Amino acid sequence: MPVDGLFSTTVTILGKTIDLRARNQALIASNVANAETPHYTPKALSFENELQGALKGGSNRVQTLTHARHFPLNGSSSRIQDVTGKVVETPAKSPGKDGNAVEIEAEMSRMTENQIMYNASVQILAKKFEGLRSALREGK
Amino acid sequence: MDFFNSMNVSSSALSAERTRMNLISGNLANANATRTPEGGPYKRKDAVFSATPIENSFSRTLDGATGREVRQVEVVQIIEDQNPPRMQYDPNHPDADPQGYVALPNVNVVEEMADMINATRTYEANVAAVQAAKSMALKTLEISK
Repeated sequence: MPVDGLFSTTVTILGKTIDLRARNQALIASNVANAETPHYTPKALSFENELQGALKGGSNRVQTLTHARHFPLNGSSSRIQDVTGKVVETPAKSPGKDGNAVEIEAEMSRMTENQIMYNASVQILAKKFEGLRSALREGK
Repeated sequence: MDFFNSMNVSSSALSAERTRMNLISGNLANANATRTPEGGPYKRKDAVFSATPIENSFSRTLDGATGREVRQVEVVQIIEDQNPPRMQYDPNHPDADPQGYVALPNVNVVEEMADMINATRTYEANVAAVQAAKSMALKTLEISK
Protein backbone atom coordinates (compact mmCIF):
# COMPACT_ATOMS: atom_id res chain seq x y z
CA MET A 1 0.00 0.00 0.00
CA PRO A 2 1.60 3.30 -1.00
CA VAL A 3 -0.05 5.28 1.81
CA ASP A 4 1.77 3.08 4.29
CA GLY A 5 4.71 5.42 3.91
CA LEU A 6 2.80 8.39 5.19
CA PHE A 7 0.53 6.78 7.73
CA SER A 8 2.71 3.72 8.52
CA THR A 9 1.05 0.94 10.50
CA THR A 10 0.18 3.32 13.35
CA VAL A 11 -3.14 4.38 11.84
CA THR A 12 -4.07 0.84 10.86
CA ILE A 13 -3.30 -0.65 14.23
CA LEU A 14 -4.97 2.15 16.18
CA GLY A 15 -8.05 1.93 13.98
CA LYS A 16 -8.19 -1.81 14.52
CA THR A 17 -7.72 -1.42 18.28
CA ILE A 18 -10.57 1.08 18.44
CA ASP A 19 -12.82 -1.28 16.49
CA LEU A 20 -11.98 -4.28 18.67
CA ARG A 21 -12.37 -2.30 21.90
CA ALA A 22 -15.80 -1.12 20.73
CA ARG A 23 -16.79 -4.75 20.16
CA ASN A 24 -15.43 -5.71 23.56
CA GLN A 25 -17.52 -2.93 25.12
CA ALA A 26 -20.68 -4.50 23.67
CA LEU A 27 -19.75 -7.88 25.14
CA ILE A 28 -19.05 -6.41 28.57
CA ALA A 29 -22.31 -4.44 28.43
CA SER A 30 -24.06 -7.72 27.66
CA ASN A 31 -22.38 -9.32 30.71
CA VAL A 32 -23.48 -6.47 32.98
CA ALA A 33 -27.00 -6.60 31.53
CA ASN A 34 -27.21 -10.32 32.26
CA ALA A 35 -25.77 -10.07 35.78
CA GLU A 36 -29.03 -11.53 37.12
CA THR A 37 -29.90 -13.99 34.35
CA PRO A 38 -29.74 -17.65 35.40
CA HIS A 39 -27.19 -19.88 33.60
CA TYR A 40 -25.46 -16.98 31.86
CA THR A 41 -21.71 -17.20 31.27
CA PRO A 42 -19.87 -13.91 30.74
CA LYS A 43 -17.77 -13.43 27.61
CA ALA A 44 -15.00 -11.12 26.51
CA LEU A 45 -13.04 -10.43 23.35
CA SER A 46 -9.40 -11.50 23.46
CA PHE A 47 -7.27 -9.97 20.72
CA GLU A 48 -4.04 -8.66 22.28
CA ASN A 49 -1.89 -11.65 21.31
CA GLU A 50 -3.35 -11.91 17.83
CA LEU A 51 -2.76 -8.22 17.22
CA GLN A 52 0.77 -8.42 18.54
CA GLY A 53 1.41 -11.43 16.29
CA ALA A 54 0.10 -9.52 13.26
CA LEU A 55 2.30 -6.56 14.10
CA LYS A 56 5.42 -8.70 14.59
CA GLY A 57 4.71 -10.70 11.46
CA GLY A 58 4.64 -7.46 9.53
CA SER A 59 8.12 -6.39 10.49
CA ASN A 60 9.74 -8.34 7.65
CA ARG A 61 7.50 -6.60 5.19
CA VAL A 62 10.29 -4.68 3.51
CA GLN A 63 11.51 -7.30 1.10
CA THR A 64 12.71 -7.56 -2.46
CA LEU A 65 11.87 -10.48 -4.64
CA THR A 66 15.22 -12.00 -5.59
CA HIS A 67 13.67 -14.79 -7.59
CA ALA A 68 10.77 -14.80 -10.01
CA ARG A 69 9.12 -17.70 -8.20
CA HIS A 70 9.26 -16.16 -4.71
CA PHE A 71 5.91 -15.47 -3.13
CA PRO A 72 5.41 -11.88 -2.06
CA LEU A 73 4.76 -11.60 1.68
CA ASN A 74 1.58 -9.98 2.84
CA GLY A 75 1.74 -6.37 3.81
CA SER A 76 1.46 -5.86 7.54
CA SER A 77 -1.50 -3.53 7.19
CA SER A 78 -3.62 -6.24 5.62
CA ARG A 79 -2.48 -8.66 8.30
CA ILE A 80 -3.56 -6.23 11.02
CA GLN A 81 -6.85 -5.71 9.20
CA ASP A 82 -7.52 -9.44 9.37
CA VAL A 83 -7.38 -9.56 13.18
CA THR A 84 -10.85 -10.31 14.50
CA GLY A 85 -10.12 -11.40 18.05
CA LYS A 86 -11.61 -14.39 19.77
CA VAL A 87 -14.65 -14.50 22.03
CA VAL A 88 -13.60 -16.21 25.26
CA GLU A 89 -15.70 -17.12 28.27
CA THR A 90 -14.72 -15.43 31.50
CA PRO A 91 -16.76 -17.17 34.20
CA ALA A 92 -16.39 -16.32 37.90
CA LYS A 93 -14.56 -18.86 40.05
CA SER A 94 -17.65 -19.56 42.11
CA PRO A 95 -20.88 -19.26 40.10
CA GLY A 96 -24.08 -18.54 42.01
CA LYS A 97 -26.74 -21.13 42.80
CA ASP A 98 -28.68 -20.13 39.69
CA GLY A 99 -25.71 -20.95 37.46
CA ASN A 100 -24.95 -17.30 36.72
CA ALA A 101 -21.19 -16.83 36.46
CA VAL A 102 -21.08 -13.03 36.18
CA GLU A 103 -18.91 -11.27 38.72
CA ILE A 104 -20.14 -7.69 38.57
CA GLU A 105 -16.99 -6.19 40.15
CA ALA A 106 -14.75 -7.93 37.63
CA GLU A 107 -17.00 -6.80 34.77
CA MET A 108 -16.98 -3.19 35.94
CA SER A 109 -13.21 -3.13 36.21
CA ARG A 110 -12.91 -4.79 32.80
CA MET A 111 -15.23 -2.18 31.38
CA THR A 112 -13.21 0.67 32.93
CA GLU A 113 -9.97 -0.79 31.60
CA ASN A 114 -11.49 -1.20 28.14
CA GLN A 115 -12.78 2.36 28.21
CA ILE A 116 -9.42 3.82 29.25
CA MET A 117 -7.57 1.84 26.58
CA TYR A 118 -10.13 2.94 24.01
CA ASN A 119 -9.72 6.58 24.97
CA ALA A 120 -5.94 6.19 24.89
CA SER A 121 -6.05 4.76 21.36
CA VAL A 122 -8.34 7.55 20.18
CA GLN A 123 -6.06 10.16 21.72
CA ILE A 124 -2.93 8.69 20.14
CA LEU A 125 -4.68 8.54 16.76
CA ALA A 126 -5.78 12.17 17.09
CA LYS A 127 -2.21 13.17 18.00
CA LYS A 128 -0.87 11.26 15.00
CA PHE A 129 -3.12 13.22 12.66
CA GLU A 130 -2.24 16.42 14.49
CA GLY A 131 1.44 15.72 13.90
CA LEU A 132 0.86 15.06 10.19
CA ARG A 133 -1.18 18.23 9.89
CA SER A 134 1.54 20.18 11.63
CA ALA A 135 4.12 18.78 9.21
CA LEU A 136 1.91 19.76 6.25
CA ARG A 137 1.70 23.30 7.53
CA GLU A 138 5.47 23.39 8.04
CA GLY A 139 4.99 23.60 11.76
CA LYS A 140 2.94 26.78 11.57
CA MET B 1 -20.59 -2.85 15.78
CA ASP B 2 -21.69 0.53 16.98
CA PHE B 3 -22.15 1.87 20.45
CA PHE B 4 -25.90 2.06 20.05
CA ASN B 5 -25.90 -1.72 20.11
CA SER B 6 -24.21 -1.83 23.49
CA MET B 7 -26.44 0.98 24.75
CA ASN B 8 -29.50 -1.01 23.65
CA VAL B 9 -28.22 -4.04 25.54
CA SER B 10 -27.76 -1.96 28.68
CA SER B 11 -31.15 -0.32 28.35
CA SER B 12 -32.82 -3.73 27.99
CA ALA B 13 -31.31 -4.55 31.39
CA LEU B 14 -32.51 -1.24 32.81
CA SER B 15 -36.10 -1.98 31.86
CA ALA B 16 -35.81 -5.57 33.11
CA GLU B 17 -34.54 -4.34 36.48
CA ARG B 18 -37.31 -1.76 36.59
CA THR B 19 -39.88 -4.52 36.03
CA ARG B 20 -38.31 -6.45 38.91
CA MET B 21 -38.40 -3.32 41.05
CA ASN B 22 -42.12 -2.91 40.31
CA LEU B 23 -42.75 -6.51 41.36
CA ILE B 24 -40.77 -6.02 44.58
CA SER B 25 -42.77 -2.87 45.39
CA GLY B 26 -45.96 -4.83 44.73
CA ASN B 27 -44.79 -7.63 47.02
CA LEU B 28 -43.90 -5.22 49.82
CA ALA B 29 -47.13 -3.25 49.44
CA ASN B 30 -49.20 -6.42 49.61
CA ALA B 31 -47.20 -8.13 52.35
CA ASN B 32 -50.35 -8.26 54.50
CA ALA B 33 -53.11 -8.45 51.88
CA THR B 34 -55.41 -11.36 52.71
CA ARG B 35 -57.87 -10.79 49.86
CA THR B 36 -57.23 -10.71 46.12
CA PRO B 37 -59.57 -10.70 43.09
CA GLU B 38 -58.47 -14.31 42.43
CA GLY B 39 -59.34 -15.24 46.00
CA GLY B 40 -57.05 -16.16 48.87
CA PRO B 41 -54.06 -14.19 50.10
CA TYR B 42 -51.65 -12.34 47.78
CA LYS B 43 -48.87 -14.49 46.32
CA ARG B 44 -45.32 -13.23 45.96
CA LYS B 45 -44.38 -12.42 42.35
CA ASP B 46 -41.00 -12.74 40.70
CA ALA B 47 -39.58 -12.08 37.24
CA VAL B 48 -37.79 -14.68 35.10
CA PHE B 49 -34.87 -13.22 33.17
CA SER B 50 -33.57 -14.65 29.93
CA ALA B 51 -30.52 -13.75 27.82
CA THR B 52 -31.75 -13.23 24.24
CA PRO B 53 -29.78 -12.38 21.10
CA ILE B 54 -30.17 -8.82 19.85
CA GLU B 55 -33.02 -8.38 17.38
CA ASN B 56 -31.27 -6.59 14.54
CA SER B 57 -30.16 -9.64 12.58
CA PHE B 58 -28.52 -7.63 9.80
CA SER B 59 -25.93 -6.00 12.02
CA ARG B 60 -25.59 -9.29 13.89
CA THR B 61 -24.55 -11.04 10.68
CA LEU B 62 -22.26 -8.17 9.82
CA ASP B 63 -20.53 -8.26 13.18
CA GLY B 64 -19.61 -11.95 12.97
CA ALA B 65 -18.77 -13.90 16.10
CA THR B 66 -18.86 -10.94 18.50
CA GLY B 67 -22.27 -9.83 17.33
CA ARG B 68 -23.72 -13.28 17.88
CA GLU B 69 -22.38 -13.48 21.42
CA VAL B 70 -23.89 -10.18 22.54
CA ARG B 71 -27.07 -10.87 24.49
CA GLN B 72 -29.66 -8.52 25.85
CA VAL B 73 -31.86 -9.39 28.79
CA GLU B 74 -35.59 -9.83 28.70
CA VAL B 75 -38.29 -10.56 31.25
CA VAL B 76 -39.85 -13.67 29.71
CA GLN B 77 -42.27 -14.59 32.47
CA ILE B 78 -43.70 -13.35 35.74
CA ILE B 79 -44.19 -16.21 38.14
CA GLU B 80 -46.15 -16.55 41.36
CA ASP B 81 -44.34 -18.03 44.32
CA GLN B 82 -46.06 -21.36 45.08
CA ASN B 83 -44.83 -21.58 48.67
CA PRO B 84 -47.62 -22.02 51.24
CA PRO B 85 -49.03 -18.88 52.87
CA ARG B 86 -47.92 -17.74 56.30
CA MET B 87 -50.44 -18.93 58.91
CA GLN B 88 -51.01 -16.56 61.80
CA TYR B 89 -53.34 -17.13 64.76
CA ASP B 90 -55.85 -14.29 64.88
CA PRO B 91 -59.41 -15.57 65.57
CA ASN B 92 -60.93 -12.07 65.40
CA HIS B 93 -59.80 -11.52 61.83
CA PRO B 94 -62.70 -11.70 59.31
CA ASP B 95 -60.63 -14.01 57.04
CA ALA B 96 -59.70 -16.44 59.81
CA ASP B 97 -60.42 -20.15 59.22
CA PRO B 98 -62.51 -22.19 61.76
CA GLN B 99 -59.31 -22.96 63.70
CA GLY B 100 -58.66 -19.21 64.05
CA TYR B 101 -55.70 -19.03 61.64
CA VAL B 102 -55.36 -16.32 58.97
CA ALA B 103 -53.52 -17.11 55.71
CA LEU B 104 -51.14 -14.22 55.06
CA PRO B 105 -49.13 -13.71 51.84
CA ASN B 106 -45.94 -15.76 51.44
CA VAL B 107 -43.91 -12.55 51.26
CA ASN B 108 -40.75 -12.34 53.35
CA VAL B 109 -40.14 -8.62 53.84
CA VAL B 110 -36.42 -9.06 54.63
CA GLU B 111 -35.95 -11.10 51.45
CA GLU B 112 -37.74 -8.45 49.42
CA MET B 113 -35.51 -5.72 50.84
CA ALA B 114 -32.39 -7.72 49.91
CA ASP B 115 -33.79 -8.26 46.40
CA MET B 116 -34.50 -4.55 46.16
CA ILE B 117 -30.89 -3.63 46.99
CA ASN B 118 -29.75 -6.17 44.41
CA ALA B 119 -32.01 -4.68 41.73
CA THR B 120 -30.84 -1.14 42.58
CA ARG B 121 -27.16 -2.06 42.32
CA THR B 122 -27.63 -3.90 39.04
CA TYR B 123 -29.55 -0.92 37.69
CA GLU B 124 -26.69 1.38 38.70
CA ALA B 125 -24.13 -0.91 37.05
CA ASN B 126 -26.09 -0.74 33.79
CA VAL B 127 -26.35 3.04 33.99
CA ALA B 128 -22.55 3.08 34.32
CA ALA B 129 -22.31 0.85 31.22
CA VAL B 130 -24.49 3.28 29.23
CA GLN B 131 -22.33 6.18 30.38
CA ALA B 132 -19.17 4.32 29.38
CA ALA B 133 -20.52 3.63 25.88
CA LYS B 134 -21.64 7.24 25.57
CA SER B 135 -18.29 8.68 26.59
CA MET B 136 -16.47 6.32 24.21
CA ALA B 137 -18.73 7.33 21.33
CA LEU B 138 -18.17 11.01 22.08
CA LYS B 139 -14.44 10.45 22.41
CA THR B 140 -14.37 9.04 18.88
CA LEU B 141 -15.54 12.39 17.56
CA GLU B 142 -12.33 13.92 18.93
CA ILE B 143 -10.26 12.15 16.26
CA SER B 144 -11.42 14.66 13.68
CA LYS B 145 -10.92 17.71 15.86
